[in-house]
Amino acid sequence: MTESESAAEQRRRAAVTRRAAERARREAERAARRARDAEPVRVARKHDGLVRVAHWLHVPLLVGLIVSGLAIYWASPVFHHAPTPGNPRGDYLVDAGHALAAWTGAAGDTRHWLYDHASLGPFQLANALRLHWLLAYLYMACGALYLAGLVRGGGWRALLPRATDPAEALAMIRFYLGVIPHALARKPWPHPPVAGKYNALQRGAYFTMPLLGALVVLSGWAMHHPATLGWLEMLFVNFDGARIVHFGCMAILGGFMVPHVILVIADGWDTFRSMVTGWSTRLKQARHA
Amino acid sequence: MPERARRGPGLGERLGAAWRRVTAAAAERPEATEEQPRGRLASRSRRDFLLFGAGIAATAAAGWWVLPERTKRTWLPLAHDRLDTLAARVGLTRAQREAQLNRALTFDDDVAEALYSRGRRVRTYDRPDPRPLRNNYHGATPGPGYLADWRLNLSGLASGRTESLSLDELRSRFTRRDMNTRLVCVEGWSHVVAWGGLRFADLLAAYPPAPGARWAALRSTVSLNARGAPEPYYVSIDLETARHPQALLATHHAGAPLTVAHGAPLRLVVPMKLGLKNIKAVTDIFYAADEPADYWNERGYSKYDGL
Repeated sequence: MTESESAAEQRRRAAVTRRAAERARREAERAARRARDAEPVRVARKHDGLVRVAHWLHVPLLVGLIVSGLAIYWASPVFHHAPTPGNPRGDYLVDAGHALAAWTGAAGDTRHWLYDHASLGPFQLANALRLHWLLAYLYMACGALYLAGLVRGGGWRALLPRATDPAEALAMIRFYLGVIPHALARKPWPHPPVAGKYNALQRGAYFTMPLLGALVVLSGWAMHHPATLGWLEMLFVNFDGARIVHFGCMAILGGFMVPHVILVIADGWDTFRSMVTGWSTRLKQARHA
Repeated sequence: MPERARRGPGLGERLGAAWRRVTAAAAERPEATEEQPRGRLASRSRRDFLLFGAGIAATAAAGWWVLPERTKRTWLPLAHDRLDTLAARVGLTRAQREAQLNRALTFDDDVAEALYSRGRRVRTYDRPDPRPLRNNYHGATPGPGYLADWRLNLSGLASGRTESLSLDELRSRFTRRDMNTRLVCVEGWSHVVAWGGLRFADLLAAYPPAPGARWAALRSTVSLNARGAPEPYYVSIDLETARHPQALLATHHAGAPLTVAHGAPLRLVVPMKLGLKNIKAVTDIFYAADEPADYWNERGYSKYDGL
């Protein structure tokens, strides 16, 4: 009896000690976390809030403008050849749709394959026009927001072309071409030095995109109101000139997204996060040396 | 002159200094850094990513909501019904979408109206396009049977009467005008056409509309649908546009009387409006105080259609 009593007592004491130890451990952990949270971290301010908002708004706007724009384009393609039996408008995008459908192994009527997959679809002109106007006004507002952010945050300075850009751009192209061969050969392949926020290729791209945005808006207005804005239509030679410029700008703005996304993924989490939060923990060490 | 030069810096120097100031102002600043407690950064980051996620969700919902029905069926053949039900449950209904998109259309029309100035002439061309003009009758092209007893009926006039005019009366009583203007189709194609006909303004002067009338409703009863059955076509034109000196009731095209394919014997030509307002084979004109119905507006297009 006494033996079992003392055993029970021992177990109780052990449990108390264990709980106390657990409490102390948790307390220490909390203190450590508090200390870590209070620890100062040096971050670089990257993008103004307005720039970040405009950047992300551009994604659905651009996608929406492209899918509605192609559905408008379907009604009367500006790039066309002589009519053929399966392609009465001679639309090169119908030919491309056939080719892509064959490549993906799609069966059945593949005339509208590209329009079904990359646009609102055929026979959607009225819907596409309404949506295109709505998104076009939002796109212009978004562009204004972006410019306001560039001015407010002073970010525009990092985008201006410089005299050293051609040489730096060549060095960057050489670097990009060598990345995969050197990785395969397990040889070091150092990144060329970058003076500033962006390298010359980035600067060129980020400087060109707003200009193309302006051009796509201007050519859009020229097509929308060739009578009231006749001077604008003449700027693009004629009505079809504005259509060709508008289509070309769309292709480049859309095409830009591909390398842009690949390079951001390659560059890593910090770069992506900086466009959401505005700050980066990757500091330009040289500047503080 | 040499004395003045000694007094201040020359133009070249001043420009050089200005350029140096501009380049200094435009030079990239060193990276701005700041110190923040790690915990503060983490909570801010959490907030920003939550907002980012909410933005993605809202965009996805709104994006789904604005898509046309056919697009939704093509893109997500299996899930579109369920997603539509879900969207309707949070208040994103089809009727609301139509209302919102039509508001955008009206806003765009208001912008067009603000850009338009009534006195301005539309660009004219020395030569019309050499290719033949496309016949874009949205339905079947009518046969020439209607031409024999065609008359233009006018109503809503100040006289209170209804007028019925023959082509010969129109040709003999009104001066013929010629112009080479561009016909722009809502589909995106365009064509410089040599038109000839009477000014709508001259007809309005000869047969003035009833006081208070602000609109002209033009109608073609000979128009057919795609299966060849009768289907009247009608457009609305504000009287200000109708009085524009380049608004014609055309009887000729490329130097010859209009063919049936292009709206014989009389069609409207308003080069400041999209092609779909340029109604072919007009049979009736009615003047009204309120905006009359418009064929393509009832099918989802703008009713202003200003170029």
